[in-house]
Amino acid sequence: MDNPMQRRTFLSRAIGVLAAAGALPLVKAQTSSQASEALPSFTGPQANPYWNGVNPFVVYPQKLPLLRLTDRGIQLETPRQYFRTAFTPNEAFFVRYHLDLIPNSIDLSSWRLHIEGNVEKPLTLSMQDLLTRFKPVSVAAVNQCSGNSRSRFQPRVAGGQWGNGAMGNALWTGVRLMDLLQEAGVKPGTVQLQFQGLERGPGPEGKGSNAFMKSLDWNDPVLQECVIAYQMNGEPLPMLNGFPVRLVVPGKFSTYWMKHLTWIRALTQPDDNFWMAIAYRIPDTPRGNTTPADVAAGKVKTVPIGNVNMPVRSFIVDPDGSSKLVVGLPVEIRGVAFSGYGRVTRVEVSLDGGKTWRVAQLGEYYGPYSFRTWSFQWKPTQPGRYTLAVRATDEKGNVQPDEPVWNPGGYLWNRIERQDVVVGTAS
Amino acid sequence: MKRYYWMLLVLLGVWVLAQDSSLPGVKEAGSYTQGSLGQVLQPLPVTNAQPDGVYGVGAWPLYTPELADGPGKELVMGYCQVCHSATYITMQPPLPAATWEAEVQKMIKTFGAQIPDEAAKQITAYLQAHYTPETRKP
Repeated sequence: MDNPMQRRTFLSRAIGVLAAAGALPLVKAQTSSQASEALPSFTGPQANPYWNGVNPFVVYPQKLPLLRLTDRGIQLETPRQYFRTAFTPNEAFFVRYHLDLIPNSIDLSSWRLHIEGNVEKPLTLSMQDLLTRFKPVSVAAVNQCSGNSRSRFQPRVAGGQWGNGAMGNALWTGVRLMDLLQEAGVKPGTVQLQFQGLERGPGPEGKGSNAFMKSLDWNDPVLQECVIAYQMNGEPLPMLNGFPVRLVVPGKFSTYWMKHLTWIRALTQPDDNFWMAIAYRIPDTPRGNTTPADVAAGKVKTVPIGNVNMPVRSFIVDPDGSSKLVVGLPVEIRGVAFSGYGRVTRVEVSLDGGKTWRVAQLGEYYGPYSFRTWSFQWKPTQPGRYTLAVRATDEKGNVQPDEPVWNPGGYLWNRIERQDVVVGTAS
Repeated sequence: MKRYYWMLLVLLGVWVLAQDSSLPGVKEAGSYTQGSLGQVLQPLPVTNAQPDGVYGVGAWPLYTPELADGPGKELVMGYCQVCHSATYITMQPPLPAATWEAEVQKMIKTFGAQIPDEAAKQITAYLQAHYTPETRKP
């Protein structure tokens, strides 16, 4: 580590001697650019100011280097640069498990999808059955963790300290949930459908630490759109994203998108397991917003996060602040936007931190639940410091707010995103 | 002898040129230092898989950072890591002492962690001694 410094000192001395002789100009001391230094190992108690969480890059099977939040259970965040395109590559797609006993290897000769509970005819389906007996369908849909951007919260809350990268968009191909349920014949008296995959933990039976299960109401219209996906962007699902099949619930947060889906149960009583009754609940308030004081006072009534769709969001992917921009040189400000409530109809960009807004150009439309890319051509005419901002509007008229949200789970963040940039002179 | 002086001058010239900050616009060049951002190895492709129904990816890698040294560290590593790696602690932002107390109680009461009272006290004290806004160190 000391070597370069010694060399530099020697060099400056040598050059200094020559300079003194009038041969060379003097050399200024080196200043490091921020981009070559590591981020801190944690942020807080203030909000995380970075786009991604501050965690290190690590490599997992079937994955490019991703940002490690935790390694058992596994939680990996997608780096910002993979959001330049509408579809997120499988090998960069984020990973979020709750428990540590997850499959390393699955034998499709013995794996079966079970449909059971309050049904006329329980089904046991092999991968072959899913591939041959049911009509394949595809849907482009954003899978976003309920706690995406949790590290923005003030005051900070415990939980996975995601930046913005706990999300991804894929083309999901598989069979309609309703096609399977039709064959099984769901009986009257069913109130919920429970989904369970191969995610288990060492905790005692009946506790949340033993098994991960989620349920959707039988009368929820989203069931009509649910797909049991065996393909992701035209490829088998990576193991860490739910091989062999996962549930796709368009417009809803990923907590319902059960990975390694193996059991579907028609329930006659509401699911009271930990992951429904205690975890993944939001205040029953506008935006799920509340205060630490109201929580402490026991004033907050909560509902499952599945009662709402994902609020409208947009993200600046480029420029990312890793280098200076050049005055007079056009730069493409670009990123993605989506809403769980349907098509993104408008994306606006601000060059002055949100004071004034200009309409950005929207990329191709892949369906109401997909990422939509957007771009805005900007030619900075004055050197200086700028704060870029972006906000999206969806077809229901929802506009991204500039007010933060707070709840104890760290859910539903969708505040307007900003990016500071520095523009240098060209002469 | 004169020839050697000449060669030495050329070498010195090349060396000076390589470091020459008088090149048009070059403010700094030829500067290297030990990388602080780390490197990771590429994964090997699946070369010996059988064409059967088994789809495996091997063991999941662990990347667990070291916990802060102090009394109670062994208890944390023993009890907490029954269900999850200690990375769940280091990943958190600095959390108030009361939050750590609540987290430990949640693990016991809600998740069913089998931690004796005395150990739970020491685990809580350890977390409060190293991972609050007042005590957390980089």
